[in-house]
Amino acid sequence: MKSAALLFAYSLRRVRTLAIATGLLLAALQLVLIFVAGALHTTGAFDQLSALIPPFARELLGPSVTIIMSFSGIVCLGYFELAVMGALIALAVTLATTPASEVETGFMDLILARPLARHWIITRTIALTTLVSAAMLVLMVAGTWTGLWLFAPTGVAWPPAALIISLAINLGMLTLCWGGVAMAIGAASRRRSVAGGTAGLLAFAAFLLDYVARLWQPAEKIAWISPFRYYNPFDLITGNPLPLKNVAVLGGIALTGFAAAYVLFARRDISH
Amino acid sequence: MAPISIRGLTKRYGNVLAVNNLNLEVIQGEILGFLGLNGAGKTTTIRILLDLLRPNSGNASILGHDCQTDGLRARLNVGYLPGEMGIYSDLTGREVLDLLAGLSGHVINMSRRRELQERLEFPAGDLRRRLREYSTGMKRKLGLIQAFQSDPQLLILDEPTEGLDPLMQESFYRLLVDVKGRGRTVFMSSHVLSEVDRVCDRIALVRKGELVLLSSVEELRRLAARSVRVLFSEDVPGPRSWNLKVEGPLGPLLRTIAGLPIQDIEIEEAKLEDVILKYYRDGAK
Repeated sequence: MKSAALLFAYSLRRVRTLAIATGLLLAALQLVLIFVAGALHTTGAFDQLSALIPPFARELLGPSVTIIMSFSGIVCLGYFELAVMGALIALAVTLATTPASEVETGFMDLILARPLARHWIITRTIALTTLVSAAMLVLMVAGTWTGLWLFAPTGVAWPPAALIISLAINLGMLTLCWGGVAMAIGAASRRRSVAGGTAGLLAFAAFLLDYVARLWQPAEKIAWISPFRYYNPFDLITGNPLPLKNVAVLGGIALTGFAAAYVLFARRDISH
Repeated sequence: MAPISIRGLTKRYGNVLAVNNLNLEVIQGEILGFLGLNGAGKTTTIRILLDLLRPNSGNASILGHDCQTDGLRARLNVGYLPGEMGIYSDLTGREVLDLLAGLSGHVINMSRRRELQERLEFPAGDLRRRLREYSTGMKRKLGLIQAFQSDPQLLILDEPTEGLDPLMQESFYRLLVDVKGRGRTVFMSSHVLSEVDRVCDRIALVRKGELVLLSSVEELRRLAARSVRVLFSEDVPGPRSWNLKVEGPLGPLLRTIAGLPIQDIEIEEAKLEDVILKYYRDGAK
């Protein structure tokens, strides 16, 4: 246990620069979004922007378009913007494939030649991925509230705290889900690039499937297999509570990935 | 309780048989040289001992603990130097040593570490530098320090002198003699036959995954053929200079040539390398 804690501390120290930089960028993005939202609100630009949206697009996007074209909507955008989701998932995949990287470099030989059980490697990686992902979301939420305090125009309605927290939880579960998938792949791989690339491609394919299904009815039949289906920020923004089913499915995928990682890593040969 | 006991160990990679029914027992307090050409199965065997690889059949144990079913206790008293030190280059030497010491399950005696640094001429200041600034030789020295620093009962060393300059090799050999003197056991793979000749008590030679020779170095030297050159002062049957290879005692040869007009005899000491190379070439019995 002491050895595992030492390894965790060492791993955390190695990723601290990447994690802090990503966290600060994500938090800064929230500030920028709120600053922009404040400026648009003050100049009354939301109504003009809404008027610019063509009717077919308005029909396609439904009531969410009205919601997003508001101060609250832009503030919430920071939790489902493609770059934000991509950055969080990429970070989770990078952390989750740490064992593959350690096998590739030969560092795993030195670690496992000590009296350290293999399951601690996976436990360390789960703790690392979960902790850093959670820290990213905490920084984002902190960025949102700081931005609201600093840049929200007087009299404008702030998005409810429960909504921001729900978005953060759902996004966090989506991140962890891809962390679980990447960890299972990484536990059986000898190359981080292969593990990370495979997980990244899967995530991209799943994102496209979900995206296409929202525009093309026939794809709806298989869209349930995409984890992105279980993160629907517009539902949350329109006032619906966070569906437990979404959290359960994403959490279930993450846990399955973690369990698979334990089994695969325990059985594999460590060779680089 | 043997430091290392290997029984019927077999490891396949698909159709390739890396280790084939290997049986080997390492004796307490000896330095055993584990020899073989590239791909002979040396590193695979070492990796099975450390439970990095899982055998297809057979078993191996370290200090009485099965390497697979009781791996944690088996590795508790092992110092390991891999063939290639896979360390992240953004770490400092001290961070590497501290991390690996912490994972060893033992409290490291810092004076032991300092002693190793001195013997391997590794200045304390270099430990504060990041590994990306280290030369190959420095990384090797760091590897040796991490393997020896917990003063383990058993040292498993994979090509330990690879990348060390001749002076450091000397220091390393002296270090081996010291640890052996304190009752520690060393299991080392090597390509350097002169090194094996000099420091090992016994050698185990593997060829295509099979053990083809297990012998004390002393015994092997006795088996080795000596080169004898006899120069005659007058004509004899055959040429005036005979170049002979003599296995075993020289008596029969001396009796044969006793009546001949001998001008000079040169006897070259038997070389362990000759015997080992013979096994490398054809796996002779």
